[in-house]
Amino acid sequence: MANGNDIVIETRALTKRYRAGILAVDGLSMNVKRGEVYGFVGPNGAGKTTTLRMLLGLVHPTSGQCRVLGEKPGTPEALGRIGTIVETPAFYPYLSGRDNLKVLARLASTPYSRIDAALDEVDLLGRAGDKFKSYSLGMKQRLGMAAALLKDPDLLILDEPTNGLDPAGMAEMRGLIRELGRGERTVFLSSHLMGELEQICDRIGVIKNGRIIAEGPLEELRHGSRLKVRAAPLERARELLDEMEVVGKIEQDTDTLLVEADPASTAAINRKLVEAGVEVSELFVAKLSLENVFLSLTEEDEPRG
Amino acid sequence: MDSLIAELTLLRKRVATWILLGFWLVLTILFAYVLPYYAYKGDIRFRERGGAALLAIMLPHNLVASLLSGFPFFGGTIILILGVLTMGSEYTWGTLTSAFTQRASRLKVFFSKMLALAIAIVPFVLLVFLLGFIASLLIALAENQPIDLPSAWQVLQALAIAWFIMAVWGSFGVLIAVLSRGTSLAIGLGLIYGLVLEGIISAFTNEITLLDYMSKAFLRTNGYSLVASLATTVTGGGGGPGGLQSSQIVSGTQAVLVLALEIVVFIIVAAALVRRRDVAGSS
Ligand SMILES: Nc1ncnc2c1ncn2[C@@H]1O[C@H](COP(=O)(O)OP(=O)(O)OP(=O)(O)O)[C@@H](O)[C@H]1O
Ligand SMILES: [Mg+2]
Repeated sequence: MANGNDIVIETRALTKRYRAGILAVDGLSMNVKRGEVYGFVGPNGAGKTTTLRMLLGLVHPTSGQCRVLGEKPGTPEALGRIGTIVETPAFYPYLSGRDNLKVLARLASTPYSRIDAALDEVDLLGRAGDKFKSYSLGMKQRLGMAAALLKDPDLLILDEPTNGLDPAGMAEMRGLIRELGRGERTVFLSSHLMGELEQICDRIGVIKNGRIIAEGPLEELRHGSRLKVRAAPLERARELLDEMEVVGKIEQDTDTLLVEADPASTAAINRKLVEAGVEVSELFVAKLSLENVFLSLTEEDEPRG
Repeated sequence: MDSLIAELTLLRKRVATWILLGFWLVLTILFAYVLPYYAYKGDIRFRERGGAALLAIMLPHNLVASLLSGFPFFGGTIILILGVLTMGSEYTWGTLTSAFTQRASRLKVFFSKMLALAIAIVPFVLLVFLLGFIASLLIALAENQPIDLPSAWQVLQALAIAWFIMAVWGSFGVLIAVLSRGTSLAIGLGLIYGLVLEGIISAFTNEITLLDYMSKAFLRTNGYSLVASLATTVTGGGGGPGGLQSSQIVSGTQAVLVLALEIVVFIIVAAALVRRRDVAGSS
């Protein structure tokens, strides 16, 4: 399946159904290339963490395949080159931050010499001697990041790494991730905030109900633009647009409509509205914010699990 | 080696380990020496009725019998808790995820943990014998009694048996922690089993043959039988809290075989579950 070693994460029809019968990941196929910063975004319960756990060999897929760094997930060969945060950072509460890293370094066969550098990288050196249980959520998250950096990994798999950080901490973490993603190192990170990934990622995959529903470089995802229509009476305009073939979904703001349509059909839409006696005061192609792209991709009537 | 050091660090730096150790040492010495000696000194009528026998139990030559009887039940329960904590906390804290994503394989982590636990039991055994020896020595000196030491061979056997009995209980604790993926339920169930179930069923073995068979597989029954096969005190009975039944129900050989089979089963089942099961979320 893999062509060369340029593909760092490869999944084929990866599926996980938990014992309880919940289909968490549903035939997921994707490739993450070497050196890429790949954002994995989706609403709560979309299956992000489950996918990450499968990539790490923590959860066994029900069906489908995946390879990480050319290895079977969860093997020492793969794990030894991966730094990871899964869900909330889990450490031994009675040990200090530094002692926690020592234990992990032992399990990773990594020299202690990297510990202080990693702690420094996340600004935790000053509190490294304090017990983990005395840390704030943000400090715990930082320690998680320090642990992920211990192995000087080729691949970082980070599950919502900015969770619990204050705005300054978030910006710092984003900067750190961007920094880490330079060069050959690959970063795979999940989030439910599209805006957060915007500033970090080369490519984004949007996951919902266990499936990838959109994937591509940011610019490409954004190109799913909308027509913004300000017209009066708005209700009448909406009815008319609904009849048109070129028009997809229509969303309504207070006094404008956001219309899913090919930008090339702008003139046709304008003509139709004007001919029907609707006053069009504004009609232009609006580039969507990432948050909008995300919402329009993921929103549906079914409840989020 | 690396992962063994990691697991030993986890046990060594944990306060609960030291609390269990202290609790075990204090109570064992208290019930085996301090209280009996207090009773012996304080109550003249008591001393006249069976005093000589009571004193004999506390002297150095009875060291093995006095201390060993504390292991099959009280000591076992203490190490059961240690076993549960060692494994169960990894689930409760979600740290299994961290441990299993470093480099060491799941089985390596698991067996390092078991080995660390096996090593951690050693001070529980050695220290209680050391303190017991000191106590019996002091009593012998205070009462002007001869100081006859048990043979080195007997002491060695006693240490091995003590360690083995604790190891079986510890593995049992690990297994129920793995089964319940946590500590609370495992400790609860473990204590109910150890304190209540074995006791109740053993009480009815005369009436119901099936229960008699069952009780022959019990940790306590086999532990006591093993202990009794090595050493019996001059008077029977013995120190240590819970040292209620020092009777030998099965032969020493049978007890060793049954316990050995059980520890192997406990460890294999726990290892298989740890290796195969999904690690998804904390607790
Ligand atoms: N251990 C488990 N047993 C059963 N179902 C689970 C388990 N873990 C997760 N699920 C279910 O699988 C689905 C996907 O969960 P997952 O944690 O992968 O989502 P997520 O995208 O990480 O969500 P979030 O953004 O909230 O972290 C959910 O419906 C969840 O309830
Ligand atoms: Mg998640």
